[in-house]
Formats: sequence, structure tokens, C-alpha cells
Amino acid sequence: MGQVLIVAECQDGRLSDATQELIGRGRELAQATGGTVTLAAFGEGARDALRDADADVAVVVNGDGVQQYNPEVYEEALAAMVEDRQPALVLLSNTTMGMDLGASLAARQARPMVAYCTALWRDDDALLATSQIYGGKLAADVEVPDGAVVTVIPGSWPAAGSSGSPRIEEMPSPAAAHTRVLKVMEAESGGDVDITRADILVSVGRGLQDPDNLELADQLAEALGGVVSCSRPVVDAGWLPRSRQVGKSGKTVKPKLYFALGISGAPEHLQGMKDAELIVAVNSDENAPIFEVAHYGATVDILDLMPALTERLEGRAG
Amino acid sequence: MLRTLLMALTVAMVVAAGALFARRVAAIVGVMRTARPTLRTDRVGERIQSVVEHVLLHRRMFRITLSGVLHYFIFSGFVVLLIDIVETVGEVFVPGFTVGRILAPLVDIWVILVAIGILLALYNRLIIRPARFQGSDEKDAFLILGLIGAIIVGIVIHDSFFPFVAREVLHVPDPVAHAHFLGWGLSRLWVALGWTGPGAASVGYAFGYLLDMGVVLAFLAYLPYSKHLHIFAAVPNIFIRNLGPKGALLAKPVEESMAIRTFQDLSWKDISDLYTCTECGRCQAVCPAHAAGQPLSPKMVILELRDALNERIARGTAFSAEEPPLAGGVISKEELWACTTCGACQEACPVFIEHVPKIAGMRAALLEEGDIDPNAQKVLVAWDRQGNSFGQPARKRPVWAKNIDVPIKDARKEPVDWLWFVGDFAALDPRVQRLTQLIARLLHHAGVDFGILYESEANAGNEALRIGEYGLFEALALKNIEALNKAQYRRIFTTDPHSLNALKNEYRKFGFEAEVLHYTEAFLELIDQGQLSVSSVPVRATYHDPCYLGRWNGIVEAPRQLMQRLGVDLVEMPRHGAQSFCCGAGGGRIWMDETGITDRPANQRIREAMRLSNVHFFVVACPKDVSMFNASVTAMGVEEEMRVVDMAELLAVAVGLESAEETLLVSS
Amino acid sequence: MKIAVLMKDVPDLVEELEVEDGALPLDDMSFVPSEWDDQALEEALLMKEEADVEVTAVAIDTGDVDNMLFTALAKGADRAVKLVGDFSRTLPNRLRARLFAQYCQAQAIDVVLTGVQAIDDLDGQIAGLVAGLTGRAHASVVRDVHIEGSQVTCVQEYSGGKMAEMQLAVPAVLGIQAARKPPRYVTIAKVRQIQKSATLEEVEAEAGTAPLVTVRRIYKPEAAGHAEMWGDDVDAVAESIVRLLEDKKLLRS
Ligand SMILES: Cc1cc2nc3c(=O)[nH]c(=O)nc-3n(C[C@H](O)[C@H](O)[C@H](O)COP(=O)(O)OP(=O)(O)OC[C@H]3O[C@@H](n4cnc5c(N)ncnc54)[C@H](O)[C@@H]3O)c2cc1C
Ligand code: SF4
Ligand code: SF4
Repeated sequence: MGQVLIVAECQDGRLSDATQELIGRGRELAQATGGTVTLAAFGEGARDALRDADADVAVVVNGDGVQQYNPEVYEEALAAMVEDRQPALVLLSNTTMGMDLGASLAARQARPMVAYCTALWRDDDALLATSQIYGGKLAADVEVPDGAVVTVIPGSWPAAGSSGSPRIEEMPSPAAAHTRVLKVMEAESGGDVDITRADILVSVGRGLQDPDNLELADQLAEALGGVVSCSRPVVDAGWLPRSRQVGKSGKTVKPKLYFALGISGAPEHLQGMKDAELIVAVNSDENAPIFEVAHYGATVDILDLMPALTERLEGRAG
Repeated sequence: MLRTLLMALTVAMVVAAGALFARRVAAIVGVMRTARPTLRTDRVGERIQSVVEHVLLHRRMFRITLSGVLHYFIFSGFVVLLIDIVETVGEVFVPGFTVGRILAPLVDIWVILVAIGILLALYNRLIIRPARFQGSDEKDAFLILGLIGAIIVGIVIHDSFFPFVAREVLHVPDPVAHAHFLGWGLSRLWVALGWTGPGAASVGYAFGYLLDMGVVLAFLAYLPYSKHLHIFAAVPNIFIRNLGPKGALLAKPVEESMAIRTFQDLSWKDISDLYTCTECGRCQAVCPAHAAGQPLSPKMVILELRDALNERIARGTAFSAEEPPLAGGVISKEELWACTTCGACQEACPVFIEHVPKIAGMRAALLEEGDIDPNAQKVLVAWDRQGNSFGQPARKRPVWAKNIDVPIKDARKEPVDWLWFVGDFAALDPRVQRLTQLIARLLHHAGVDFGILYESEANAGNEALRIGEYGLFEALALKNIEALNKAQYRRIFTTDPHSLNALKNEYRKFGFEAEVLHYTEAFLELIDQGQLSVSSVPVRATYHDPCYLGRWNGIVEAPRQLMQRLGVDLVEMPRHGAQSFCCGAGGGRIWMDETGITDRPANQRIREAMRLSNVHFFVVACPKDVSMFNASVTAMGVEEEMRVVDMAELLAVAVGLESAEETLLVSS
Repeated sequence: MKIAVLMKDVPDLVEELEVEDGALPLDDMSFVPSEWDDQALEEALLMKEEADVEVTAVAIDTGDVDNMLFTALAKGADRAVKLVGDFSRTLPNRLRARLFAQYCQAQAIDVVLTGVQAIDDLDGQIAGLVAGLTGRAHASVVRDVHIEGSQVTCVQEYSGGKMAEMQLAVPAVLGIQAARKPPRYVTIAKVRQIQKSATLEEVEAEAGTAPLVTVRRIYKPEAAGHAEMWGDDVDAVAESIVRLLEDKKLLRS
């Protein structure tokens, strides 16, 4: 294989975990066939971040319009790079940027593409990818032709442990003729919480037993960077406002993580959360129906678990 | 001189009042003529009978004793008033006229009864102040009571002066002077005061005459502008009431749209309803949405419509499309979506006003604008795509029939005696599936040859129609009818009252007229025919009548008899039978947002049951009730004190399929 | 201004997906409009309420798309176009994108809206593909689209709740994440009425060729069914949870 081109994303001055994952797999694939790994990164800040990345070359695009993601600027730069280097494989993460650039780059350069990749491996002579389709209900094994663009779902495999010292090349940023970023908004905090937009929900049910125990849930949610939601009886009791209710007569949520604590899993409740990406249920009753939709479960007392988990999470951060 | 003056005044007043009255009535009739048609003049015999029952006998009125009695006094006063009017006008226009010694004292007796009626009404409105009057025009009520009071005072005054006028001025005999005993009594006062000469008597008589006739005619002119139009409108409105089938929301298939946007989209009976409302608030008092703290009151729906129509008639814009729409304008969408279509309002209304078709029609208008609760919208889509409210694949509908030990025939493939129409909740709600299987085992135990339609059964469409989605209802109905027509069966029964209502009442308009029973009726029959022998289940329990079983379909006896056969000690809640209180689930409410509900109707119902002494079992006969009331006892934390039990569970214990301990039927 | 909403229908995920011989028996499955395309249509209709635009719903005739297009008309789209030719249910997105791109160019569409993704776009998302083929300005994962003169503004969403407001010169392509309001309901009767009174415009189209990928097999990932249980020891459970969250990259810092 020739060159593997990886589009890097930075976060708080570091390469994102998702990018680290791409680098790890890109390196393995390149090594097996004597190819090289090239990173494409944007902005002054990226230079530090990829200093010890496990890549042979890192191209840093610099100039106007790269500090904040701008699809046009980024795409022009990448298109020029691809045109210039003719990589055998282009890897992007399936983030907003990957969704934006993967397909347009492939179409523009008339390259084949595989989206929603969760596995990428070499089998005999062919490069194969698993694509997660139908909302994760099915998987497809796809042959990845030479020169393809592949967008990978973050978290699909472990990040690279290795490091290197890539040769850094500079590239001036192309001009943005059609697209302007007007303003950047950080995540909203405070105000009326919208549980449908939260990535992580700590959801409590009647197992909470007493409104005083809500504090435990709040602390856990804080430690996780999530929001507290609940089942209907908790709202009925007046412990939480109706806007926090998950279920048939409340909100339908689809967070990345749904923690069901002391919730039995009545059909009306399940209707509102069964499509969450990851469901962890804790309920002292091992026959509670919530375990039928949960991915992971435990039969412990939530009043013991919540503080224990919060402590562990805080210990880890501190 | 006196006669001439009174005759001239009478004629002038009659003409003026008559003109005002006629103008108003003509305007209202004008609106009715352009409204949608509906057939309400068939079955004349039955109609007359219902007028006798509900006008002469006040059947519904007597459900609230005080109000019934006081109204009956005042109501009959109006009948007797006619005697007085004939007599009074006769005295003046035809010298020597009299109604005779028998009718005359009747007037005085009824004057007393009316006076008592007025006092009771004042007591009711000033001291008891029932909440149902909230929002009614109380000033109007007092004004009317005052006018009626003035009339009876006028009657007594002119009667008391008439003997002197007859003797001194008209020179005619007055054979009934003593018969008007109140007037006679009062006349003793005039004798004592010496007001018996031609001058004084004429003045007194004229005063009484004008107070009586003047107020009567003023009343006539004022009536059509007030709630007291019901005095005239009630009789025809009861005559043109909906004679049923009660449970059919729409009598005929809809061609264009069932949406109600303008007054023209109402039927002429609907318009008549608006002017018949007595503002009594009986409907409001029984409305679960109102009791739950939601902004809906069926009374206010009628009054808001009436007031808007009156304003528009005054502006000459009754049919203008420029005016705000009825749905979402005159009646807010919060009001409209709050209705459970339980029908308690219609059942309570003494003058047979039909609230639910108006509400459903206005919902249809909202729906056509795309305005609907997001959760309910998902359900509509699921009915359309999968044929059930759970959004489950149609193939999953019969899963409950897969892993049980009794064979369940496929009625599409082989003839069956009983065809079981299962319904969404019974088929797909995991909590109810267990009960559905129990019923299958009970049928098997009784040796019944039964089958189901498997995945060819779809939701019956009862709620789709009540949400206002006629097209979807029709599609579901036709799909089911097609499946039913292909199957071979003798009778149909269903576990779900909502399905029962649709199959029995709504499918007729598509020509489907098979006999449909509820499972309580079916099992009662099996027991009575000796096919199912039961032992006693001696528990003390109360029974909740589902709206679509008891009220809309009049099936109140079968479940009670069934419980009696099972030896259950039934303790009735205050509201039962056709007066049962809705659980809050109907009309699509079970899928809608609960914002605005301060006290869930199902919780109120559980509290009602808990006030009964020593009752710990709450028997239900509707799959939705199983979900609703179980959720209530959970939320209220009273699972130990009140256990929700389905009729099927009682039956299972009674025939020995389950032990009492297993089914938790033993009192703790 | 002309807005085109590119739509497609996808298998209904509510139905159980059966795999036969490593492929999907598409002919036996029921199809529904892709939910994100529905969002895109709603956004377009909301834009129509605030600016002078013409909304055209466009779909490729890969089976039964008439109902989807009539529904779009019933909801308020001005026109509905069906791209006709010899297309099967399995038409890859790369070829779909070519058909859409040709149409948008030929009709000089100003703003193209489509769902940010669909459950079956294994070989790339329509928004990006059409943008790449037509060389138009584009952004995906966006909402809140407004027309301002010859520009469109929208908000692009990133992970962690971060967002940016952008402005694109038309012609532009946007991949819609969500409409400002939930997609409106349209009654069955209204769709039926439109079916009688309106017609779908048919435009002949030819897909040509594009770089495709070969699917070796389609299969179900191991089923979940029941939660994997961690037992009843509080500390062990807490430990397992932390490890899981680390694996899934759900922990901060
Ligand atoms: C029309 C309708 C709409 C509804 N809509 C909704 C809705 O939108 N959302 C909703 O949530 N519900 C809804 N419900 C109510 C639903 O049926 C259930 O009643 C409700 O979800 C139960 O909430 P829960 O799980 O918190 O309580 P429970 O069912 O009482 O469950 C509490 C659980 O906590 C466990 N537990 C107790 N103590 C502990 C402990 N110390 N540690 C660990 N576990 C413990 C118990 O084992 C039990 O499983 C609706 C019901 C109806 C009829
Ligand atoms: S049908 Fe029931 S909920 Fe609706 S207005 Fe009448 S009483 Fe109220
Ligand atoms: S609608 Fe009927 S019950 Fe309600 S206030 Fe009017 S007359 Fe009374």
C-alpha cells in the first residue's frame, strides 16, 4: 500500500481520541505493505499536537480561515493534498467534519467511499471494512478499493499507543470564497435543561425513594458531565419538573449513554429511551424488565452505587 | 277606559316583543339552514317518548335532587303560567271571561311552588354555590329569577284587585274571586286600606296586569338573547337528539372532511345545541379533563361557540372565512386536545347537547393544519404503517399466541365459532399480554372453538377517528372489514371496549353489521349455559366501568352479573355504570403530553375507590385500564392497599386455572 | 429562490430485518421516507413561510416513491419531481447522487436540502456527494436554515454541544440534522386529495457511472437480548462502569 492520508482533528491542543484511533490502524495497514502515514492537520495549534504522532509526514495547513472549521477551506486544502499525493487510502472520523468532507472529497476526486466504518482490516490481498448500517441493526463487510475514502465511527477500536516524530510540512490555507463562519457558540449551560440534547443521562426512578437522594444523582451527573432525567413517578411526586421525564408521556431521548437507576422499565418508559446508544441499568430486582433493553446491568442498591461511582470518577479526574 | 288602555298596551307590547323574538329566531334559523345536514326527524315515536321522559318527567334533571326539584317547580310554573295568561288577557279583552273555578286555584298553588323554587334556586346559587356554575352567566340567572319573581307577584296583585275592578269598572261577575285564594287574601288588605273604589282598584289592577303581562312579554323579547332560550329550545332539541347508536361518532361515511372550521361546518343540530344550553354546568361537573385541571370545560365549549356565533350574527359575519377559525381560535387547541371523548358530558346534559362530535370535528381541523401532540403524531404514523399504536411490526401482533400451551386457530384459514378481535393493547402491551393469554386459556378450558385474525387484524380505528383523522380511521376500518369478511365465524367478541365500539357502531357505515360482544358478556353467557363452571371468589371489590363499554355501549349489567356469578362482593363507587368516571386514556389522550394535568383522572378514581370501606380490589375490564390504573397505584404508592385486577384474573381463579395466591387475590 | 429537497425512502427499521444469503431481500421489505429527509423537507417548508422560495421535492424512482412525493405536496411543497429511468431498489448512493446532481444543475437549484444521513448510505452521504459533484458550497449536520439575500445561513453542530453559525453563498447544499420544528403531520385524506388533483413531474434521467464498492456480505451483529450483568458488588460494579465508559470514550478529560 502506498500512502495512508489521515485527516486529523484537534481538541484542547491534543489530537482527538478519534484521530489517535485512525493513526493506530493507519500505521498497522501501512506497515504491512511498506507504505507511509501522512497526517493532514489545520491551524497553528495542530503543530504541537502532532509533534509526536506516529506518522511519517504531517502537513499543517495554516493561514486565514483555519482556526475555526470551515468546510470550504478545509475541503480545498484536502483536495489539493489528495490531488498532489494520490494516497491509497484516506481516513476521516465520522464526526461533523468527516460527514462534511468525506463524501464531497470522494465525489470530487471520483474516489470510492465507505462510510460508518467500524472495522478495517486486510484479508489476503483485499482491504476490507465493516460498515455499520440500518441504525446499527446490520453490518456490511465491504471491499475497500485502492484510493478509497473511509469515514470511521469514533471508538471503533483502541487508539494508537505508539508515537513518532513526523516531518512537518506547511501548506498555505486556500481562500474561502463562498463560506464564512459568523460565530462560534459553546455548549449552552444552565437555563432549562433539554434532556433530548444531552449526550449522557443519569435517569432515576422510584428506586430513588426520597427526594433528598436526588443530590446523589446530581453529583453523579456532574461527575459524568451529564444531565439528570427520570421516570414518571418521580415527576408525579414533584421531585423533578416534567421537562425531565423520559417516556411515552414525556420526552424521547437518544443519548450516547443512558443510566437507568432504580427504574423498573415499564413499556411506557422504554418507549422513550430504548434507542439510546448505550444503556446501563441498575436495579435491585434482577427480573426488572429494564434489563431486557439494557446493554449492561447490575443488581446493586443505587443509593450505594451512586456515591461510590461518583467518588471513583472524581478520583480519576483529580 | 281601563280596558282600552290595557288592550292598546298589550297589543303594542305583543307586537314589539314578537318582532324582537322573531328577528332573533330568524337569524338563528338562518344559520341552521346553511349548516351541515343530519337526519333527526326519523323515528318519531321514539322521539316523542324521549321528550315525555326528559321534559315532562325530567329524568336526567332529577340526578341532582335539589336542582331537579327546584327546576320542576319553576318548569311547571311555566305551564300554569299559560292558564294565567289566557285568563288575564281574556279578562281584559272579553268582558266576563273566566277559566273556571278548577283551573283558577291551580294558578295560586303553582305560584307558591314557583316561589319555593325561586327560593331554592337562590339558596343553591348563593349558599351552596356548586362549582359547575363556574363560568356560567350568573347575572343572567339572577335576572331571570327576578323576572319570574316579578311575574308571580304581578299575578297575585292583579288577581287581588280584579274583584273590585269587575264590580266597579267592568260591571261583570267574578265567579273565581275566592278561587284565587292568594289574591283573595291580599284583597282583604285593600279592603282594610279602603282601596276598593274604581280609581284605586283600576290603578292597582293595571299595575299588577302590567307587571304580569309586561314582564312576560319582556321575557319573550329577552329570551332568545339569553340562556333561557332553552325554555323554547329544550323541547325541540330533545326531540332531535341523537337516538343512536350512541357510540357512533359519525352516522355516515365522510365525503370531504369532518373538520369543523366555521359555523357552517357544524350540523344544524349543533347550532340548536348552542342555543339550548342552560349553562347548568352538569357537563363540567363530570368532565375528567376539567377535574384534572386542564383548560377544558364542555360547558364553556358550548358557551364560547354560542357567544362567538352571536357576535358574528350581530356583525353579519356568521359565515365569513375572515373570522378566526373555531378550532384554535374560538376554542383553544389546549381545550380541544384535553378531551378524552369519555362522553360523560353528553350523558349528563339534561337537554341532550352533543359535545364530543363538535370537539372531534374541531380536532380534525387542527390536525389538517398539522397541529397535533408529537407523541400522538407518532401513534398516527404507526397506525398507518404498522397498524398498531406500539410501532411494532404487524407480524408481532400475534406473538402472545406463540408461546402458550393452548392452540389458537387462525380464523383466516379455518372456520371458528368465536372470532376474537384482540386489540392493540391486549396484543402488544407486555403487561396485558399475560391477561390475553389467560383469556385464551379460559376459552380453551370452556371448550370454545375460537380463533384470531393474526397479523391481519389492525387497530380498530376508534381513537384515530376521535383524534380527528378520518382518513386513517377509514383505512383501518376497511382493512379490518376485509379481513373479517374473509374469515368464517359465528360471532365476534373483543377484549377491548374501544375496539368493541368501533366494530359495533362505527363500522356500520361501511356495511359491517355482525354481532359483537365484550368478553364479559361472552363469559357470562358461557357460565349461564353451563359451559364454564366456576367456584366462588369471595373477595370484596369495586368495578370500574370503561367509558366505551358502560357509557357508550350501555354494557353495565354483564360485568356486574359476571362478578355476581363469581361470588364477588361488589361495592359500587359513587360514580358507576353510565355515570362512571373516565380513567383519562380515551380519545388518544393516553398518548398525549400530560402538561397541565394537576390531578390525573385515574388517580382521582383510585382515591374514589379507596374511600370505600374495606375494598382492596379494583376490577377492570379494559386493557388500557390495566395500564392506566396500575401506573396510578404505582405512582401513588398504594399497591398494597388497592390492587388492580382484570376480570380475566377473577375468572381464572374461579375456574381453577390460577390459584388465588398466585393471582394475589388474597387480601393481605 | 429555488429550493430542492432530495428525498429517498429506506427500509422501515421497525420491521425485523431478515438477511438472506448475506443480502437484504429488499423487495419484501416495507419502505418509509428517510427520517432526516423528512426533517429537511420540514425545514424547507418552514423557510417557505418566511421567504419567497419555491420548494421542490425530488426523488428517484427506485420503487414506490409516489406516496412520499404526494405527501410532500400535501405538506406544502410546490412541486414534486420523480427522476425516472431504469433504477432498482439497490441503486447505490453514488449513482443516486449523480442523478440528483444532474437535476440540480439543470434546474439551477439555488439551495439543496437533504437529510444529513440515511440508515443505508454505506457509500457516502447524499449531501456531501452532491456537493462534491456539483462543486457547490456545502455544510452538513446543520439546522436553522434561513435565506438572506443571495446567502443562506445555518447552524452547524459539533460534538459536545458546540455550534457555529455559518453563511454560504448560493448555490449551496445542506445536510439537515433537524428541522426547527418536528415534521408536520399530514392527514391521509389530504394526501389522497392531492393524489387526485396534482401530478408528479417526471424527468428522464440516466445515472452513468461512478466509483462503487462491493459488498461481500450483510449480517446481523451479535444480538443484545439481555443486559450483560455485572453482579451485585458495589465496588466491582462501579469499577466495571468506569472501565466501560473509558472504552466507549464517554468520560471527560
Ligand atoms: C398512559 C401512560 C403514560 C405513561 N408515561 C410514562 C412516561 O412517559 N415515562 C415513565 O417513566 N412512565 C410512564 N408511565 C408510567 C409507567 O407505567 C410506570 O408506572 C413507571 O414508568 C414506573 O416508574 P419507575 O420505574 O420509576 O417505578 P417502579 O416501577 O416502581 O420501579 C422502581 C424500581 O426501582 C427498583 N428499586 C427500588 N429501590 C431500589 C434501590 N434502592 N436500588 C435499586 N433499585 C431499586 C425496584 O426494583 C423497581 O424495579 C405511563 C403510564 C401510562 C399508563
Ligand atoms: S367527553 Fe369527557 S373529557 Fe371530553 S368534554 Fe366531555 S366530559 Fe370532558
Ligand atoms: S351543555 Fe348541557 S350540561 Fe352542559 S351546561 Fe349546557 S345544558 Fe348544562
